[in-house]
Amino acid sequence: MCAKLLGDFGADVIKVEPRGGECGRRMPPFFHDDPDPETSLFFLLLNLNKRGITLDVETPQGAAIFKELVRLADVVVETFPPGYLARLGLDHASLEREHPALVMTSITPFGQSGPYSHYEGEEIVAYAMSGMMAISGTTDREPLKHGGFQAQYEAGFNGALATLFTLVLRDATGIGQHVDVSIQEVVSSTLVANQPFYSWAGGVQARRRPGGTMFGNVMPCKDGYVVSQGGGGASWDSVADFYGRAELKDQRFADTDQRIVNGHALDEILLEASRDRTMAEMFKSASEQYRMLFGIVQTPADLAQCPQLEARAFYQEVEHPVIGTIKVPFRLWNMTPTPPAYRRPAPLLGQHNAEVYGKLLGYADDAITRLRDLGVI
Amino acid sequence: MARLPLEGIRVIDCGYVFAVPYAGGLMADMGAEVIKVEGPGRLDITRDSPFSGVHADNDPGADPWNRTSNFNLINRGKKSLVLDLSRPEGRDVLRDLIRVSDVFMENFTPRVMRSWGLEYADVKQLKPDIIMVSNTGYGHGAGPYSQYPAQATTQEATHGLAHVTGYRSDIPSKAGQSYVDFLACWACLTGVALALRHRHRTGQGAWIDVGMYQLGCYTVGEYILDWLANRRLGDRLGNRHPWHAPQGCYPCAGDDQWCVVSVRTDEEWAALCRVMDRPDLAQDVRFATTQDRRAHHDEIDATIGRWTRSLTKFEVMERLQAVSVPAGPVFDARDVNLNPHYWARGFLETVEFPEDRRMGKRVIMGRPWRLSKAPLAVRGPGPSLGQHNADVIHGILGYSARRCAELEEAGILAARPSRPRIPSPMSMDERVRQGRLAYHDPDFKKRLGIEDELAHSSVSVIASRHE
Repeated sequence: MCAKLLGDFGADVIKVEPRGGECGRRMPPFFHDDPDPETSLFFLLLNLNKRGITLDVETPQGAAIFKELVRLADVVVETFPPGYLARLGLDHASLEREHPALVMTSITPFGQSGPYSHYEGEEIVAYAMSGMMAISGTTDREPLKHGGFQAQYEAGFNGALATLFTLVLRDATGIGQHVDVSIQEVVSSTLVANQPFYSWAGGVQARRRPGGTMFGNVMPCKDGYVVSQGGGGASWDSVADFYGRAELKDQRFADTDQRIVNGHALDEILLEASRDRTMAEMFKSASEQYRMLFGIVQTPADLAQCPQLEARAFYQEVEHPVIGTIKVPFRLWNMTPTPPAYRRPAPLLGQHNAEVYGKLLGYADDAITRLRDLGVI
Repeated sequence: MARLPLEGIRVIDCGYVFAVPYAGGLMADMGAEVIKVEGPGRLDITRDSPFSGVHADNDPGADPWNRTSNFNLINRGKKSLVLDLSRPEGRDVLRDLIRVSDVFMENFTPRVMRSWGLEYADVKQLKPDIIMVSNTGYGHGAGPYSQYPAQATTQEATHGLAHVTGYRSDIPSKAGQSYVDFLACWACLTGVALALRHRHRTGQGAWIDVGMYQLGCYTVGEYILDWLANRRLGDRLGNRHPWHAPQGCYPCAGDDQWCVVSVRTDEEWAALCRVMDRPDLAQDVRFATTQDRRAHHDEIDATIGRWTRSLTKFEVMERLQAVSVPAGPVFDARDVNLNPHYWARGFLETVEFPEDRRMGKRVIMGRPWRLSKAPLAVRGPGPSLGQHNADVIHGILGYSARRCAELEEAGILAARPSRPRIPSPMSMDERVRQGRLAYHDPDFKKRLGIEDELAHSSVSVIASRHE
């Protein structure tokens, strides 16, 4: 994700994989559910715009080749356990001796230092140890993780921005640095309303109660689920008018505190008022007429045909040599005069070996063949 | 001192709530001069609404808008300018400020910027190489939702995350707090860094148009592709892993104490069985492969839960991590604030407020990244409202004392809210009774080592934090 962001804005990203391919190639979902290393849709999503080579950096010759590549690079992004690259002589301290302008970004579960730095991370472990899970889910059940792989995406954003600000600094000083990104800290960083509640007043926030908390959370309507919230441009009177229930204007719902105390009564009214209304109608009416903060639970199918995403040119049509033509989520934001640009699909395993080893490093064809026969590339 | 990435960069931050203001706070940590602009009748709602967190010591004091937790964490290290942008004279001051700034950030809805004549095309006339950041719910342009009001809680449903978040076979759910705001914060920062490098090379400015919705949609990208390729809609898996097993959140000794465990391979399964002292399970053919364990996940969960219930969440972590099985405690806000790993890494920082703020010292999160040769740090507390009016108007813009007085007289420039909201916060005990807090620690300052007279030797503080 980190390197993909750099590539989307013009960097020439060379993905270096072990000879068997990186583990992302084995991550479902696969195109037509065929678990082939070239058809992981996760891999496709995160590796657009990159060239790909294979290299066994654990062999002395592979490590030497890696160093040659680094000399031609501005940035190295890596996610190995702390200490792994040092054992191969490929950590930042070793590489910067020959290349002081090198920026190396390491993204790991717990960062490069501290008592947990050698712990094993996993998506759910990052949520648990960040503080996120303690406030997710309901009090009558266990804490709940976010769906999908949010911590990975979040860490990718942070890797990219920290790398880029280090390059901004390098533009001024000429000196590179080692950038240490901790996934645990990245997820914690989203808890700006939670961590300081403790150091301001000793309060520890709870998961939400299972009932009486529908306003501001997901609730059912006729054909799916909706979420509405106070604030934004809408007064509580507008919210009451949108739901068409005069009793919502009662004193017992007049402010946030009252709405929490009388949450069960509020739930009943909102459920009743939404039972015969559709998501589409409610979304349009709440947003356009009442200026409310309003959401509808959309599925991946809804997102695949969303007119707003089309208007923002979110999807990129990609011609992949194995998968064929497929549209892929691509454009994260718009930017002028330097918009993100699509140049190539995710690389096949070793697809650019000849190009990188031959053209970029200048190896002769027979040397490349020999390296392949020796199992280095 | 070593140079910081944003030294010499001036940022105007007209953002509200989380995404843009937090980007500004992090830019201040990186050395930028960040000027936060608020209106006298339109404070950042992290100062005076349910979005503000809690007042220091749950005491609103005489200036409640300066004492809230969320505002002060997010806006650390900034200058505060209070300027009425709803009036043309206020916008003229802003235009002058844009002329001498590098970055201009805002999160108004598109129609506000249009009506004020402050769209990128206008701003570029004032300062050709300005880097402008616009963060909106759905992004600028002609899309059908582009004028819709939005914020993270409701977008978490619309951008597809709630559909795949929730307990198994239960309704969709949201998780955590204001999730997509943080994706937007990081997107804004990434855009600014890209634009600064582009400006360095070409002298050109840039406009960064971030729509939160599409950022949220991207982070369910694999589900969208699974639909497009395989017509699969995605499931709510609770705490289970989409392809490994077992994985879950299990009860530990104590009240509302939990840990998570994730097993990715047969070797990790064997290691877990060994640590649980259940070698029989490791031999059991019903659990031999990932597929087998998925088929018997409920039964395995019950077994793991029986074992974890006898241990603290820290013991589970230590025993399983010792054999390289991913496991960790569910940290609540107390655990996060006292976490020895975070203190050892410097992720938590202690900020000291000036005497007249009467807030003493507070602990806030720094940044999730460290640079080996640039000492990034929180460079000061969040500013009090209008604290730097004179610094900015007089010092930076060079307005005469008379013009400043006129602006103050007209209410264009202010250091107090024009319509202060006087809160009457409920007690901490009441918050616990209502279920809004799990519990509270009256002795939190002692635990954090931020009692008023305590000296700040970080080493002794860390040592005393963990028995």
